Amino acid sequence: MKRVLVQKLGLADMLEIKCPYCGERSQNEFSYGGDATIKRPELNSEISDLEWDSFVYYRNNPRGKHLELWHHTSGCRRWFKVHRNTATHEIIKTLEIQEELHD
Amino acid sequence: MSRVSPLANTAVLGYFGNFEGKSINKIIKISEITNAKIYQIVQYKTSKLDISSLKIDSQILSASPGTVSANLKTRIQWNGPKVWTIVSSNISILDQINTSCSDEDFAITDLSHSRIILQIAGENAINIIKKGCPLDLNEFKINNCANSVYHGIAFSIDMLNDNPNTYNFMAYRSFADSFYHAITDASLEYGYKQE
Repeated sequence: MKRVLVQKLGLADMLEIKCPYCGERSQNEFSYGGDATIKRPELNSEISDLEWDSFVYYRNNPRGKHLELWHHTSGCRRWFKVHRNTATHEIIKTLEIQEELHD
Repeated sequence: MSRVSPLANTAVLGYFGNFEGKSINKIIKISEITNAKIYQIVQYKTSKLDISSLKIDSQILSASPGTVSANLKTRIQWNGPKVWTIVSSNISILDQINTSCSDEDFAITDLSHSRIILQIAGENAINIIKKGCPLDLNEFKINNCANSVYHGIAFSIDMLNDNPNTYNFMAYRSFADSFYHAITDASLEYGYKQE
């Protein structure tokens, strides 16, 4: 029933995000920081304008699993990664910023 | 030299809200902690120092998230990985911090002028927090702390006592008026005494 209401009325529950340092907290305390799979080009490397454009502007907008950066703005003020399903809002895993996701 | 309270022109002493006919133990007590020394200590990422043996005013820097090391004068809150906030009424606390924490391993910042600390006491204190803060406080115990938001204002909670429930709320000084208004507005239902 709840799911039907969510779909019909566009209601959405707030996310509960597990900060790797503080534990489960409300989405209110966090800020979204974008796609976590983007890698900055190597410093002083020769890259084309298109490659720089891709790094700065171009982003995928997947429906499904997505690795994201989040910031615990009103908590420990640390950046970390969230592996999240953008269709269901399921949070599959959270990782410290230096950790890599292994499926 | 004493600092000017950020609530000097806002907080009025007295009883407010739904206090009539209630015993003094049933209403909320709100007070401002003034002239506390507040320092943030950050251990550098490059520091290899083992903090387990390090003590400030006989208190350790806790490595456990959400915990406070405390004695009667000094409370050291875990504020994040390798980040602690010290709130102390000990006038020699800075000397003790400087003795224990070297410049090579730690950044020490005096925040005393830039924070407001409100102390809320009473059996309904937890309900005041629930009205504006998304934190789950059911597992909160004495000497637990957390950073969160209260009606959109970033603040930290530090639990001092559970009989009666007593919390210190610390927020940015520039938000003092709004924060105080939000807290007192939530307290009207239970009646409160501004001390």
